[in-house]
Amino acid sequence: MKRLLARLGTLSLWLLCTTALHAKYAHGKPIDFAHDVVPILNRHCVACHGGKEAKGGFSMNTRELVLEAEVVDLKQPEHSRLLQLILSSDPESQMPPKEVERLSPADVSVLQQWVEAGLPWESGYSFAGRAYEPPLAPRRPALPPVVDGRDNPVDRILDAYLVEQHQTRPTPIDDQQFLRRVYLDVVGILPPPERVTAFVAEPASDKRSKLIDELLNNREGYATHWLTFWNDLLRNAYSGTGFIDGGRKQMTQWLYHALYTNLSYDEFVRQIVVASNNSEGFIKGIKWRGTVNASQMQEIQFAQNVSQVFLGINMKCASCHDSFIDRWTLKETYGLAAAYSQQPLEIHRCDKAQGTQAVAAWIFPELGRIDPEAPQPARMKQIASLMTHPQNGRLTRTLVNRLWHRLFGRGIVHPVDAMHTEPWSVDLLDYLAVYLADQSYDIKQVLRLILNSAAYQSHAIASTSDPETGTFVFGGPIARRLTAEQFVDAVRSITGVWPQPDLGMFQRDGRDQHGQLRDVLLAISETPEQLTSVSAEDLLVQWGTRPIRAALAGLDPLQAQLGRPMREQVVTSRPTQLTTLQAINLSNGEELAELLRQGAGRLAAQFSTSIPTATPPTTQDGISAPPKTPSGIVDHICLGLLTRLPTEDERSSFSISVDESAAVTEIEDLLWTLLMLPEFQIIR
Amino acid sequence: MPTMLRDLEDKRLERRRFIASLAAASAATLLTNGPRELLAENEPTIHPPARADACILLWMAGGMAAPETFDPKRYLPFEIGLPVEQVYSTFPAIDTVVDPIKISQGFEGIAKVMDRATLIRSHVQPDLGSILHSRHQYHWHTGYVQHQTVAAPHLGAWIAKVLGPRNPVIPPFINIGQQIEGNGESEELKAFTTGGFFGSEFGPFNLPFPEDAAQAVRPPKGMDSSRFAERYRKFRQLVQNGPNAEHVSDYHQESMLRAFENANRLLSSRDREAFDLSLEPQTSFDTYNTGRFGRGCLAARRLVEAGARFVEVTTEYIPFIHWDTHENGHTTLEKLKAEVDRPIAQLILDLDQRGLLDRTLVVIASEFSRDMMIEGVPGSTAQDQSRAATDKLSEMKHYGLHRHFTGGSSVVLFGGGTKRGFLYGETAAERPCIAIKNPVTISDLHATIFHAMGMSPKSVFDIENRPFYATQDGKGTPVAELFA
Repeated sequence: MKRLLARLGTLSLWLLCTTALHAKYAHGKPIDFAHDVVPILNRHCVACHGGKEAKGGFSMNTRELVLEAEVVDLKQPEHSRLLQLILSSDPESQMPPKEVERLSPADVSVLQQWVEAGLPWESGYSFAGRAYEPPLAPRRPALPPVVDGRDNPVDRILDAYLVEQHQTRPTPIDDQQFLRRVYLDVVGILPPPERVTAFVAEPASDKRSKLIDELLNNREGYATHWLTFWNDLLRNAYSGTGFIDGGRKQMTQWLYHALYTNLSYDEFVRQIVVASNNSEGFIKGIKWRGTVNASQMQEIQFAQNVSQVFLGINMKCASCHDSFIDRWTLKETYGLAAAYSQQPLEIHRCDKAQGTQAVAAWIFPELGRIDPEAPQPARMKQIASLMTHPQNGRLTRTLVNRLWHRLFGRGIVHPVDAMHTEPWSVDLLDYLAVYLADQSYDIKQVLRLILNSAAYQSHAIASTSDPETGTFVFGGPIARRLTAEQFVDAVRSITGVWPQPDLGMFQRDGRDQHGQLRDVLLAISETPEQLTSVSAEDLLVQWGTRPIRAALAGLDPLQAQLGRPMREQVVTSRPTQLTTLQAINLSNGEELAELLRQGAGRLAAQFSTSIPTATPPTTQDGISAPPKTPSGIVDHICLGLLTRLPTEDERSSFSISVDESAAVTEIEDLLWTLLMLPEFQIIR
Repeated sequence: MPTMLRDLEDKRLERRRFIASLAAASAATLLTNGPRELLAENEPTIHPPARADACILLWMAGGMAAPETFDPKRYLPFEIGLPVEQVYSTFPAIDTVVDPIKISQGFEGIAKVMDRATLIRSHVQPDLGSILHSRHQYHWHTGYVQHQTVAAPHLGAWIAKVLGPRNPVIPPFINIGQQIEGNGESEELKAFTTGGFFGSEFGPFNLPFPEDAAQAVRPPKGMDSSRFAERYRKFRQLVQNGPNAEHVSDYHQESMLRAFENANRLLSSRDREAFDLSLEPQTSFDTYNTGRFGRGCLAARRLVEAGARFVEVTTEYIPFIHWDTHENGHTTLEKLKAEVDRPIAQLILDLDQRGLLDRTLVVIASEFSRDMMIEGVPGSTAQDQSRAATDKLSEMKHYGLHRHFTGGSSVVLFGGGTKRGFLYGETAAERPCIAIKNPVTISDLHATIFHAMGMSPKSVFDIENRPFYATQDGKGTPVAELFA
């Protein structure tokens, strides 16, 4: 990873022509560390003097180390021992040693110029490769003192962090922004217009934490929203590739039930690993028809997916050969795969059989081992208990990091599937991980803690470059894009146009696809066994008028356009940017256009029945209850979509006619315009 | 252009592209969180000089039987009681304008343009143990065998990503003729009709019905262009004057507005007339109008003229329909050939006449061939898929190539610097009719297409910290003999 970043770094640095690199000129030509020097050192020196190697006690990992070793003399370059050794012809002392290729005169000249130029070095560059080794055991950091009464542990850690990083505290958001954000993050929908008015008017000082509790206690809303997150992670699709011939299994009922009942995370993991009929979809993977690459066998899928989702480890590299980018080996991947395998598993390197059988093994031996002789069900129990071992801090860190990523737009460790990367705040990550375990693995408790923090309730920082790249220093939440599901639900909520339930949603087809609403009904029922024999027709009646949220609908073209994945692969983050094709589709696509037409018709009919009044009554907070008037529609829609009242400019831009048919067109355009606003599509 | 000058120009182009690719890589590094172009230290991917600016893939979806099309074998007419094992082709061979090359009856139009074609008769696919159209289509279109741990991009997405649009308002990857929703294998089609890990920016601009293509770049139904423009104007005004105007420099906001600007540019540009088949002169339209595929060919020509980079036109994959002949093969192909022959020939003639054929690569291909007897390749474990299995012909529905054959299929290339009137590779005259000379794999065929387009088959991106190549593991090699 580091190596790669370094490479990419060199490239962009070269293109940006950072002057620091060219600080000094020797022989009229600037020395470019990244492009001129690094390749030479890589080729001739770092094998013995870089990374973990330090032959003769000399490491050139960093500029500091080179200077400390006193092998260069910046004042008298020609006296530099480094240069003397590479020029030497003494077979005993010359560098590189005699059996190895010598430097060409041109290379020597570059290094001479480099030393003469003062040993320019790319800031932060190290030949050490990955220097950070993440701890496995949980760690309970000491909390910094409370400052300014900000006593939430998250704030105690972050306030100290901000001081240390010379960052200013992000400013707090107002009630409307908070309301919008917390609704989207906990239940995935926007606050209804009337709720905005009421919440702002509410005088209680603890109204925000009360709202957080209320939303977290909204079991259906919470389960439906977080279903999307877990469906992506566990690649649970209601239909799709691989279902043919029973090659894939849904786990919708189990998953929805787990979220609805807020199943503790350790138990959640145990039930996925020691799977029941309802929860085996994830570890079972996808059985593709025909011959597949060895790295796509179900056993290897198990190793890849379990390690990625629960531990933030990318074993895809190590499924074919020892990873080049982290410490995982082919043997370790196969060890984990063999633990799951029902039959002996032969190790394949790059799809070629190696003639050796994999031995079931656990990837963190410090936590315990798997008995390779035990039968498969017993081995799965062993994996489950190792995975949820109290000393397995990787499990808890990986999850809290994913939650943080969802709520703040960037992980504490980033990317979220590379948990071997150094976090920007070790204390924050470790604290949250320990907190999860302390709270009996109650995910909602972690969410509650974070949502109540001043850090969460502060302004998103405006960033001029892609926050995904470059060095990151926390300065506040980062803007996030609405998910496809949030977008679609928002349109449907404000217009009241929801999909009609059809029978297919209440029964599985011949390939075990669909029937997801039946799963939901079973999941939330106190007595699911009584429902198992109920017909699809009766279940449809039982569903009643409940809205079918986007997360529960199949993958339709609009959602696909907005970035909902097919779930053939594990997906842990959605695309953060709107693309041109998506923008075209939002501008003239039939799906959205039709939804807006229907929605506008509905809204116009609702409002046109009332008599228009002059101005809406305004409360002291500037929020008004929209009267049922055409002019009130603009307020109502604006409140519903942007969680604020329109500005005067906006109000005057959209005059809605009293005439219903004219109003439909105007409302349609109003809806579209507001929906396209970055203010709507981006959560700040 | 004289050779020397041409070489010089190529070198200059190469260098320009090299610099552009570096700049693109850097921009990607700085601006997006998508996959990053991966460059080995001091070893940037060297793209060959482009021979073609655009590529049209004419996709014969469902398995085009080579012995019935471009590689005719022993023909026996239908006769009750005839042992099927004696039948290789159900159409007689016909002459083409290129002396030794014969193709199959029903392709009289294409026969007249074979002097512009390079015909490969030795394209081979792996058996994969289970012949599933979608799986082989996935393999053909992405260059990778399903399933992959990452979402593999379509060939068109690779070209769109690496080469970019030719005309900034025309989407670089356009996919014509495949309706995805409502198809029995819609999810399977979606799996490869995608930008994959490049993201939807490089995914297909889908035009399932070419006659409705104009609609895809027009305001939504029922909205006139003035209302559409007014709506966009109001949107811009609100962005500028809204209470969140201070976020205008924000990265997320900026990239979102850029996407809308690009979209609006296409939706209000004159270039979008290329999508409108009603603007084509009637006689020309009629020549192409043999059906949806024919209209797709016309749309492809118009779009390439307007600056499209990669266009796929498919006969449409629907299980058991079109080229997917599990029974009634002969009768189905009679109709199908009548639908594809004239527009393909006209497309080549039009491109040539407009001087575009030299810089446009046209490819006719399919996921595999078919055989009367053999499923997969000899020794395959694949299930027999014929719905009209019989030893002796007794009904017309028995007459046709109903099994999926992966041992040798035909691909036709036109233009883009390929040779004219050239035959490459050969399949056995007797069963099994496997490729016996110069086999061309999917990787090598893709490498050849990339090569013509000026793109290295080793083009590589970093995805989840692993290198992912345009051809499998970067190993595709262009077939040099195919180029003039």
